Amino acid sequence: MPEEKVSLDVTDAANFIYDMSRCIKCKGCTWVDHIYMPGVKYSTRCPSATKYLFDSYGAYGKMRIGLALLEGRLDYTDEVLKILYACTLCGACDVGCKRNLDLEIELTLEALRIQAVKAGKGPMPEHKKIAQNIMEKHNSFGAPHENRTKWLADGIKPSPKADVLYFVGCSASYTHPEIAQATAGILNASGVPFMLLPDERCCGNTLYSVGMVDEARELAQRNIDAVRQAGANTLLTSCAEGYRMWKVDYPKMLNMSTADLGFEVVHLVEYVDGLIKEGALKLANRVDLRLTYHDPCSLSRLSEPWVPWEGERGLWGVVDPPLERRRGTNGVYQPPRDVLDSIPGIELVEMPRMRENAFCCGAGRGTKVAFPDFASWAAEQRLAEVKEVGAEAIVSACPWCKDNFAEAVSRNGASLKVLDFSELVLSAVGSTG
Amino acid sequence: MSIKEELLRLVGPESFTDDPAVLKAYSTDFSLVPPGAANYVVKPKKTEEVHDVIKLANAHSIPVVPVSSRVHFHGTTIPKQGGIILDLTTMNNVLEIDALNKRVRIEAGVTWEQLTSELAKKGFRMVMPLLPHPLRSVVTDYLEREVLINTVYDYGEPLQSMEVVWPTGEVFRTGSASVTGYPDSPSKGANPSGPGLDFYRFLQGAQGTMGVVTWANLKIEYLPKIDKILFAPVDDLDYAIEFLYRILRIRIGQECLLLNSINLATIIADDWHSDFEKLRASLPPWTLILVISAFQRRPEEKIQYEEQALEEILRNEFPEIHIADHLPGSPGLGKKLLPMLRKPWPEQVTYWKQRPKGGCQSLFFITKPTWVSRFVGKIAEMAASHGYPIADVGGYLQPIEHNRACQLEFNFFYDPASYSEVERVRGLYGEAAKVLLSEGALFTRPYGEELTQLVYEKAADYTMTLRRVKNIFDPNNIMNPGNLCF
Amino acid sequence: MAISEEAYKVLESIVGPEYISADPAICEGYRAGPGGYECGLGYERVMTRVPGCVVMPRTTEEVQRIVKVCNRYGLPFVPYSTGFYGARSHPHVSDALLIDLKRMNDFEIDDQHLYAVVGSGVIYSQLQEEAMSRGMYAIVGGGGSQVSAIANMIGDGWSPLSYRIGLPHRRILGTELVLPDGELVRLGSLALQDDPFWGEGPGPDLRGLLRGFTGHRGFLGIVTRMAIKLLPFQPERLEPTGISPHTTLQLPTNRVKWINFTMPSTDSMQQAMVEMAKAEIGGAVTKVPIFWRAIARAGSKEEFWELWSKETEETIRDFHVLRVLIVGFTSEEQLEYEEAVLMDIIGELGGEARRTRPTDESWFKNADSAGMWLMCGGYVSVDYVIETVEHAIPHGENYAKLKRNYTPPLMPDYGDPGWFQSFELGHQGYSEFLVYWDPDENTDGVDQFYLETSKENIRKRFYTSLLGAHQPLYLTGPAYGPNYHKWLLEVKDEFDPNHVCHPPVPLAHDVFVERAEWMKPLKDWGGPDITAEP
Repeated sequence: MPEEKVSLDVTDAANFIYDMSRCIKCKGCTWVDHIYMPGVKYSTRCPSATKYLFDSYGAYGKMRIGLALLEGRLDYTDEVLKILYACTLCGACDVGCKRNLDLEIELTLEALRIQAVKAGKGPMPEHKKIAQNIMEKHNSFGAPHENRTKWLADGIKPSPKADVLYFVGCSASYTHPEIAQATAGILNASGVPFMLLPDERCCGNTLYSVGMVDEARELAQRNIDAVRQAGANTLLTSCAEGYRMWKVDYPKMLNMSTADLGFEVVHLVEYVDGLIKEGALKLANRVDLRLTYHDPCSLSRLSEPWVPWEGERGLWGVVDPPLERRRGTNGVYQPPRDVLDSIPGIELVEMPRMRENAFCCGAGRGTKVAFPDFASWAAEQRLAEVKEVGAEAIVSACPWCKDNFAEAVSRNGASLKVLDFSELVLSAVGSTG
Repeated sequence: MSIKEELLRLVGPESFTDDPAVLKAYSTDFSLVPPGAANYVVKPKKTEEVHDVIKLANAHSIPVVPVSSRVHFHGTTIPKQGGIILDLTTMNNVLEIDALNKRVRIEAGVTWEQLTSELAKKGFRMVMPLLPHPLRSVVTDYLEREVLINTVYDYGEPLQSMEVVWPTGEVFRTGSASVTGYPDSPSKGANPSGPGLDFYRFLQGAQGTMGVVTWANLKIEYLPKIDKILFAPVDDLDYAIEFLYRILRIRIGQECLLLNSINLATIIADDWHSDFEKLRASLPPWTLILVISAFQRRPEEKIQYEEQALEEILRNEFPEIHIADHLPGSPGLGKKLLPMLRKPWPEQVTYWKQRPKGGCQSLFFITKPTWVSRFVGKIAEMAASHGYPIADVGGYLQPIEHNRACQLEFNFFYDPASYSEVERVRGLYGEAAKVLLSEGALFTRPYGEELTQLVYEKAADYTMTLRRVKNIFDPNNIMNPGNLCF
Repeated sequence: MAISEEAYKVLESIVGPEYISADPAICEGYRAGPGGYECGLGYERVMTRVPGCVVMPRTTEEVQRIVKVCNRYGLPFVPYSTGFYGARSHPHVSDALLIDLKRMNDFEIDDQHLYAVVGSGVIYSQLQEEAMSRGMYAIVGGGGSQVSAIANMIGDGWSPLSYRIGLPHRRILGTELVLPDGELVRLGSLALQDDPFWGEGPGPDLRGLLRGFTGHRGFLGIVTRMAIKLLPFQPERLEPTGISPHTTLQLPTNRVKWINFTMPSTDSMQQAMVEMAKAEIGGAVTKVPIFWRAIARAGSKEEFWELWSKETEETIRDFHVLRVLIVGFTSEEQLEYEEAVLMDIIGELGGEARRTRPTDESWFKNADSAGMWLMCGGYVSVDYVIETVEHAIPHGENYAKLKRNYTPPLMPDYGDPGWFQSFELGHQGYSEFLVYWDPDENTDGVDQFYLETSKENIRKRFYTSLLGAHQPLYLTGPAYGPNYHKWLLEVKDEFDPNHVCHPPVPLAHDVFVERAEWMKPLKDWGGPDITAEP
């Protein structure tokens, strides 16, 4: 058969027909990697497949359904939309599959959502509301745009110009200001000047994640231009989802590499790790806490830089030029752990599902707003694991994780602290180096 | 033609008899199963004759009772509904000894005596049951799942592929012997399984009711280069069992078994009259027998590491177990017993189970070692209530598969000429079977009418399904009817 | 609705509305192909169908009731544990009920008595971790760590670790089997009591119904619960390390070691296996096919092909690598002893130890079977054989010769005669032949090769997995037994009088040959007329 042109362009789902038709139903996408399998409990890493049980909700089902949609054998019914959207795009399936094979599962799922939107069927009604909020108020919540900087408390003084630009994000601006305040506090304590965007707007996470790629692209271009104009060398964020958007999905949408952005995208966990190792920050205050760290999906599995690719695929499925696939190997796993380990008094215990096997909190990428029960359920699953290891606190590095876990804790009345990385680090900050 | 004439035509007069004296000999055995006579005895010389006889019997709904051994202890070959005794004892060729693949192929009539001596000449052995009668059919004993005294081989059962004549008369090969033209094939018959269905499973434990096995492939093992037989006197059976859980799990030992004083005395007494009573008085309540072996390569080093591991465990965890290469009070026991364990019982000596009184009713079942004491206690109670002295009950505990299970066997000796002894044992056995079954004893090989009925009544859905399978292979129920649930 | 409304309502009342669906999207998610084991081939395209309804029971009782409903309403059903076995484990008729057993995931373990009790939804990696954390181990069969332990135990169940542990048939203990007509039969100790620790009897062993050399693919009922025998291992932990895709178990080399050896010839490898078996050492021993090495080294499909294209018939012929596992089951000293004996043997045969990583990527926790699809996208184990090593070697050579005629579309393997190893300390030999193809090419040749292999096995009197449901029954039946098919079909008729259990298996391959134009010319055997209904 002749060679076929193909690219990793998610705006055309036909680019992923090969991937959909080569899924072998091994379910490595659902189960924890066999090497790390903890036993009969905490055995899966796909929340959708674990909750909804029918194969259709696992990646193997979605690959087959995707093909059927593309081939016109299946219509976009409510069930189809639920299958496509009751999923946090957490990347567990992608990483699980890529342990052995060369299939782009995550990109396929993104492409299927883009296709659903193009067909006028997706996204979910709740997502459309979010999109409207973003269009009108420049934030996911539909809150007044002018309130975006209300989180700035006394004592936090951004510079008019600095190398580091702190991109706060909707969540830390509006619903979890403690994260923004803690981040700023850490930067101050480290003597790192930072600036803010004069008119920060939503990163577009929900827009891109639900398949509204045109709207997301427009926002991406606008945001990148704004950062370039501000002249930052480093874009710092404390939100894992925002991190992923800037580092991976912006370049993806604009058909460029992460390296071509013109500035480095850094998450707070990486930044703090760097500061400590350089001696610029010392975490000297004792914090007596037995805690566990939850790897946010967008900071771990999904965080490797983006490089666009196009080429040809021929016999045996061999592609040319060769493609270095993003397998989640170089996710930001170790830096937050190094930081937490360095805090005196902290006892860091790991959950059975950690790093690339982490079980998504269930909230991310627009899922919670459309499937709140699913998000609550996923959080409960994860919190059971926290309890299993006897941790007093769960720490993550994403306000969406914090939000979902905190809600679950208040609902079930557990005596568990839900903390963001930024808060914990701030509480441990001593003198600077 | 009458049936007799047909049979004469099929096997020839030298292979046929209906002599009442001969028929009488087949009508009883060493069990308490009541007598039953057949009408004819045929001794086929080859599979074709087996096929012919069975085909005839099937056409006329005449029972066929396959007999491959020369002695019988469980009543399985006593004809329950008359018919034809199909005596395979003269089909007793050792067909192949395949050293490369550690395999032997033997006909059904090959005895333990025959096989063990043939194999020993070539440096091989079977993984044996305990001191089988020398004239028993090796194939039958493995088909009947006699428990083996060597627990170390993880792959388990020696039986591989077989040739069987179904009750409908078809000759069939199971497993990898099923290839056309076997044994003239690259296939050697080493795979027991299939084709299509695991036919071999239906033939196991079947007491000759599912078909007639004419030959079988079996696994053989090398004779060790070095053996060390060890003993430990045991007062506290639970403690000894804990010890076995520990050492058998880490694969120490080849042969490993426990015998109580009366059974061990029965086995090792030289001169019965002078030795037996002395021995049973002096032997400990139970004796653990453990053999450590090594093969051709670096045998001393193997013995060394195994002994080292054993000594550490004894020293650190089981100080009350005193293992030695001798049993106090029994000089020369090791030298005597070790070769015995690799061979059948010597033909010239009364079979050990028959030595005390001539008759022996054995009650044996599978259980978890942790439940053994409970069963021993129950037997003691019941024996007492039947006036059977507990000291006279033979006991044999055989660990299986790293001691994850065991076979527990009780031997009730009796004088077959004494009506009262027979009745006492019958009563005790009957009650013991019922009580132990209800307490979880697993009778996987139910012999005798009473136990068989208890078991198959309890296993209702199994029984129903078994009958459905039997009906496929034996629609006229000619194959040893009256045994099991058929 | 694809199935009758009455049947649907009754099924819904059994499992609850949450666990049943006839929605087309739900059903589409259960399609066999186009990717998967033996998928992207004629059999999958011609024989498989999307189910008409999917139901997910939780208990044996629910399964029984469901099967009885199927019998009542003439509703064909197929049991489904994970679906990884590919085409043959999916519905072959339209509007069938797919019984997804994943919710049957109860688990108990008795480590003193070395067994675990599992439902059909429990997979090997779960079982193996539970076993290994207690000083025991199971065999993870060729399907890999994500397959249902029960499905594998009744269909396959071997790996290089079978060198010591042997066939899975003996590791099947007390079992619950729902027969195709809905009757429940409890096997082994479950026949008489509640503890499933023992597999045999009473009397004749009905485990004979569970499988043959290979499995039934679900045509003779549904196993809902099984006690699986575990084997004692050693006490040190095999530590998980690495980040995907480089995850691996770090071996405690004082107790567990893999060693690779370069040997001078195929004969010397066979001899090494014989000697090891004689010495009764080792936990596993296998010849390594060269493409495994290429897969292990390759970071991607492209890298694999770069490596593979450098191989030739000579390099294949001259590649003799033996991989040996030794385990200090008893003690560290045992490992030292076995290593010394092993080195003696290898030295005598002219072999040499290679540097070997102290890790295990496969065999303990996995069979790395998913990696088999990396190269070409299509894969199946055409033929796997448990017989003797003597049988394995000529079979391999014969097979390699036949395979040349079908390459392409089969992936070029430069005449590799497959891999083989010793089983049961030398009592058996195992060999397996894996083939690969690009599903986008014309794969008729692969289908034909499969059938030709079966015919060749018959002609040459080999005993292999191409029996039962795997090839035309009327082709293999007369040649093995003879006429094993007669008994198989009678058993099938007895227990599935309404023909609702995974029709038309075990005659599915016979039907395939009738339906597929490119297969019909290969039919040169007799048998009744198998109507080719859609």
